[in-house]
Amino acid sequence: MRAARLAPQDLDPIIALSSSSILQHVGGGAACVTAIALTAAHWSEVESPLAAIVAISLVFIAAISATRATRPSRAPFTPERMWVIIVFGLGAAVAEYLSTVGNNQYVYDDFGPLVIGILMVSVAPYCSWTTLLTAGALSGAVLAVLVAGAPSPTWADLPISVVILVFIAPTVVASAAAAGYSWAIVHITLAWQRKANQVLLQRDSELRAGLARSQDHGRVAVLRREVLPFLASMLTAERVSVTDAARARQLAEALRSTLRDEIATTWLSDLAADLERRHGVPVEVVESDTAVAVLHDDQRAALTALLNWLAVGDRAASIRVDVAREDTELTRARVVRITVGAVLGAEPPTRRSIERFAAVARAVGLAAAVSSSGQNVTVEFRHGIS
Amino acid sequence: MTLGLPGDVSRDSVSRAIVHAGHVGAWVYLGMGAIVAVALAIGGAPKGWIAAGLLLLMAGALCVVAVRRTVISSVLYLVVGGAVTTATTVLAMQSTHDLATTDNSIVAIPCIALLFIGGAGAGSWIAGFWVVAAYAVGQAATFVGAELSDAEYRVSAAATALAVFIIIIRTVDGLTRRSGLRRQAALVRANVAAREATARRDHELEAITRLHDTAMEHLLAIAGAGSGPIDDRLRSDIREDLSLLVGRDWIAKHSAESDDPASSSGFVDGAPILDQAFATAADVELAVQMTGDLAVLGLLGGHRAAELDLAVAECLRNVARHAGVHEAEIILGNGGGEVTVAVMDVGAGFEPEHVPATRRGLRVEVIERLEREGGSARVWSAIGLGTTIVLTMPEGGA
Repeated sequence: MRAARLAPQDLDPIIALSSSSILQHVGGGAACVTAIALTAAHWSEVESPLAAIVAISLVFIAAISATRATRPSRAPFTPERMWVIIVFGLGAAVAEYLSTVGNNQYVYDDFGPLVIGILMVSVAPYCSWTTLLTAGALSGAVLAVLVAGAPSPTWADLPISVVILVFIAPTVVASAAAAGYSWAIVHITLAWQRKANQVLLQRDSELRAGLARSQDHGRVAVLRREVLPFLASMLTAERVSVTDAARARQLAEALRSTLRDEIATTWLSDLAADLERRHGVPVEVVESDTAVAVLHDDQRAALTALLNWLAVGDRAASIRVDVAREDTELTRARVVRITVGAVLGAEPPTRRSIERFAAVARAVGLAAAVSSSGQNVTVEFRHGIS
Repeated sequence: MTLGLPGDVSRDSVSRAIVHAGHVGAWVYLGMGAIVAVALAIGGAPKGWIAAGLLLLMAGALCVVAVRRTVISSVLYLVVGGAVTTATTVLAMQSTHDLATTDNSIVAIPCIALLFIGGAGAGSWIAGFWVVAAYAVGQAATFVGAELSDAEYRVSAAATALAVFIIIIRTVDGLTRRSGLRRQAALVRANVAAREATARRDHELEAITRLHDTAMEHLLAIAGAGSGPIDDRLRSDIREDLSLLVGRDWIAKHSAESDDPASSSGFVDGAPILDQAFATAADVELAVQMTGDLAVLGLLGGHRAAELDLAVAECLRNVARHAGVHEAEIILGNGGGEVTVAVMDVGAGFEPEHVPATRRGLRVEVIERLEREGGSARVWSAIGLGTTIVLTMPEGGA
């Protein structure tokens, strides 16, 4: 995807999740307070109280829509959601225009452009800078038409271009600022990722080279220490004894079954064993096949982060991961379903905190659902594969 | 691709992005203000040209802040902005248009642009300070402008609301950032852990596949042959495959020994065991996971092994001091006439090129120590991704 189409949430879901708190606490609230305060301030200009009330109601709807659309449980935020929010904001601006039509003395105290601007700033972490600029330009155009068609005696001596610019300034400035934020986050993150990927690749390379040099092959090592010396002993032996033949059969069978086991397990099994060793929490992995191997790096990281988080701090007493491949109704389409079930420990996590991991998973292309019941919590991930 | 930014980088980047957003907003606002002033000038108010020039001057001063965000450039912007605000107030209030008080959309332009200063430093409290300072300068300048033009001064409602909005955003951002930073660090570490698990899995699978491909045929041949003399062709094939798998030296040693697994490493007792390194790890309460066989240190002379041991100890000490984690990994191995020890952690990481000259630990205790013995150290690190130090020492020596 080109950088111009990337939103901060695409590169850093945690930033978006943290920002949702700002939106919920500030963005929507500020928009509503602004609408109410400015309506009260220019109440003497209001010709249609009903339209004024509708305008404020639409601001509330836009704010609530924005807050709901950015909840972690609904991640990732899509551009369509932003357009819905903007349409509600523009609807509020139109209703406000209708409420004071013919008696609007100052554009300075109209809340429509301000509210749209505040909402755009609020959703900046979820949108690309091009989307935000486009939204600002289109909103500005609609607002310009609105104010150009609402002549007032107090503005009569001013050029219409001046009135339009003053009226749309809050929306245009806010969209530019929001776009600037989105652009900066994306470019800073990409710059860091370019460097980090170099280090990660080098780390992988050193790790693989180190493992190769170490001649330490985990579970294979034990077998290797038996097979190789046995074969080496055959180089100097004059005859093969019955014991040697039996030993060769035994080693061949062990080799075959180890290969079968190794092929049937995945990185997830190794991770589970590592977590169990380090944190003492039983982690059982049940894999009906190796479909989990198709997850890409970011998806593996999201799953690893959840397992690691559950395994520390007494959050889980035990963890079970089921991996299964399922057919879907679509022709030739299949999904891998990864179900992480945890029996909660002495310090059980809140559902909200688990939802954040699900949101991270959604940001990297995994469908995720959280369910909890008493002492258990289950997070189900689904990923489409061909 | 990596997922997200590590905590320390994120704190800085979000702060920079918010400042950048403010600057962009200010430039656009000042630009629109300049266009308004030009439109008024063309419409018969020649002083509009002056106003446009002043607003562009202010935009230029903000460019200085954007390029070099220092205390001096920030104060300079406040001074220029204050002067422009006073002048704009005078021009606006003396114009033919009926602007009842200074609380109007024209005077608000420089006042609001001042609030987007960003200012030197990072963090919510410092950002809040610059906003308050900019607000105070803007309103004081407006008051002076009102006095000079005999107009009624009134606090700018738009600037006041925006100042409150920015301070609330920075405060909430600062308060919610802490938990976000912890999650970010955890996510980046999970990324490294997942890659490590994948690398180990690939390695094990490759090892068993190679062992299977090379050994299975011979094992079945031996099992199938029953008791009797060994076929020379089979013996030759085994020798060839083993030399590919483990090398001729290994075969030379093992073909004359028993198949006791305990002796399969081929090194005599009494080899160095990284005792300094493990003692240091115990002192600093660092859990060390080791992969590989300590016996490879027996390929080194006593002095070299001791030097390597001290270098590893220094690396572990650095992990405990600076990485912010309680676990490190050591991978031992040999090949190409060298003994290699990789010390890895998934801690805070650092930027090797930015290590100050006063920090001598890594350079003197590790790199120079190894170089004196003909060895070397390679360092790979990035903030948030941990550190990998690969120490190599040539076999033999004193």
